[in-house]
Amino acid sequence: MMLTLALRNLWRNRRRTLLTLSAMVVSVSLLILALGVFSGMIQDMLASATEQYRGHLVVSRSGYQDDHNLFATFHLSAELRQQIASDPQIVGLSPRLRAFGLLAHGLNTRPAELLGMAPSQERQVTRLQQLLVSGSYPAEGKSGALVGRGLASRLGVVPGDELVFVTQAADGSIGNDLLQVSGIFATGNSRQDNQLVLVSLPWLQELMVLPGQVHELALALHDPLLAGQAAARLDPLLPQGLDALAWGELLPEMQEAIASYDVTRLIMASILYFATGLGILNTLFMSVMERSREFGILMALGMSPWRIRGLVLLETLLMSVLALAVGLALGLAMTFYMARVGIDLSGTLSPITYAGGTILPRLHAVFVPANLVTPALLLLLVTLLAGWLPANRAAGLQPVTALRED
Amino acid sequence: MPLIELAKIGKIYPVGNQQVTALADLNLRFEQGEFTVLAGPSGSGKTTVLNLIGGLDQPTSGSVVIAGRSTGKSSPAELAEFRLNHIGFVFQSYNLIPVLSAAENVEFPLMLQRLPKTERRRRISTLFQQLSIAGLENRKPNDLSGGQQQRVAVARAIATRPTVVLADEPTANLDSQTAADLLTLMRQLNATENTTFIFSSHDPQVINCARRVITLKDGRLQSDMQQTP
Ligand SMILES: Nc1ncnc2c1ncn2[C@@H]1O[C@H](COP(=O)(O)OP(=O)(O)O)[C@@H](O)[C@H]1O
Ligand SMILES: [Mg+2]
Repeated sequence: MMLTLALRNLWRNRRRTLLTLSAMVVSVSLLILALGVFSGMIQDMLASATEQYRGHLVVSRSGYQDDHNLFATFHLSAELRQQIASDPQIVGLSPRLRAFGLLAHGLNTRPAELLGMAPSQERQVTRLQQLLVSGSYPAEGKSGALVGRGLASRLGVVPGDELVFVTQAADGSIGNDLLQVSGIFATGNSRQDNQLVLVSLPWLQELMVLPGQVHELALALHDPLLAGQAAARLDPLLPQGLDALAWGELLPEMQEAIASYDVTRLIMASILYFATGLGILNTLFMSVMERSREFGILMALGMSPWRIRGLVLLETLLMSVLALAVGLALGLAMTFYMARVGIDLSGTLSPITYAGGTILPRLHAVFVPANLVTPALLLLLVTLLAGWLPANRAAGLQPVTALRED
Repeated sequence: MPLIELAKIGKIYPVGNQQVTALADLNLRFEQGEFTVLAGPSGSGKTTVLNLIGGLDQPTSGSVVIAGRSTGKSSPAELAEFRLNHIGFVFQSYNLIPVLSAAENVEFPLMLQRLPKTERRRRISTLFQQLSIAGLENRKPNDLSGGQQQRVAVARAIATRPTVVLADEPTANLDSQTAADLLTLMRQLNATENTTFIFSSHDPQVINCARRVITLKDGRLQSDMQQTP
């Protein structure tokens, strides 16, 4: 009966109820959309930071990621590789050797970082193949090189041109050899675009006189946000002296940016809901004051102040549940659209590099459960808070005064 | 011990800077099963007396004791509980809940009393028969005539089996035939259920059918007479 009464009270003033409901629906659905797009940006950032170069997780000698010491190599046994690959989170492995030296083309010389890799395996970990601006990904086992755009333009090379790489090999000798530019990539991250060159692993091993040796094993995970846990699982499997480092340890600013997103989300929701909450408060107050006489009757009939309070709160709750149902559906639909289609802003904006990642100039949403749960729970909280004051007002009415009102 | 005892009641309403004395030094007793009318001109304090008895209002001085308990010493929640189980109100302007149907209006206080559904239904159908409003159960108050609304209001007031029914000028908005029917009905209830009825009215038709007539003037007792209706 309380439910009937509450529903009919809402229905009685359909227009006002609908207005309040639509304000709630709009704020929930827009919030969900905004959070989805925000999550998309963060995902882009994380992906650019990890999937263009580092990998989600890296196995290397302790300290190697800090100093890139040429001699901190290890041999990746088939057995260890098998063990690591058996972790269900791991979807790609790429053994790599790294060398720093000079690249020359004609009279142009530039410092460069060469990353020796096996193309078929590297493609599982990074996705530079999707970021080619010309040429093609190097073929397996050849002396082809995939060069960053900035570096290529400074050297003045195009695919098909030859490069000379000069460096100090592991045995102290000067190593130098010819490379042929097979393709040029652009990530939007200036460090990679201006320095990085992907070359064949066997070719680099031979040049560096490090046969069978690698500096790191870069891994791709099913869910990058679970990298910390995967690292903890791998660590005990590794031989003495090898470490598994998650992206969060390599990119602490990124880790922080993502961790602070939970707070950011709450702040965004609170600001938006503050306005909505005031609107609801105002409407509920009006609705309660208009019905003073009815509350007086209910009190005369013997309805306790607590039940009166409950009735007003029930009306509020019903509204917010209804608004949530519609708002969640609408928010999901908009997020879905932005996930499928998105909006490309590359015409007006250029990529922004932040915390070691790149924010792409596009609006693209992703589904994250918390982006629905937080707005939903918060809306319930806000409406109940907004309902509390009018409910108290109704419960505190003096029956005689209320009955006298017309 | 009387069912209701008003002792040395004073009621002052503040109006702006002034004070309006609604009741002064009023002493009244009511016994179980009475059928009494509070008479007196408009503004003499009738409504105030009923509100004090029903625990809707508190006296400025003096005490209201009903069935051994003083309304002045109760919290709003306790007073609500007391009204639910002991008082039935009938108002001049019916005061039905507009969004509830006739039957739901009667059922509402029964729900508050947590009566089982079958019992609620049973009481409603009996009362609607008795009050000749059977068939109007699903109508909303707005779709009922004044007389029909007041019958629903009476049904609502007595459905909870209250100790006292307080009716504030219940016939003021009714034509004389409808008023007469309603009075007959309340007298019957008084006779069969021994429910105590206290009316307020300045309508001679109502005053004539009461067994006791208390007349107020300017918030004071003017006369208190028994009569044969
Ligand atoms: N809430 C109130 N505020 C100010 N004066 C009031 C209030 N209620 C009643 N009064 C005054 O108290 C006196 C008695 O009123 P009331 O009990 O309503 O009389 P009756 O019901 O006999 O017409 C009147 O003078 C009225 O103006
Ligand atoms: Mg009156």
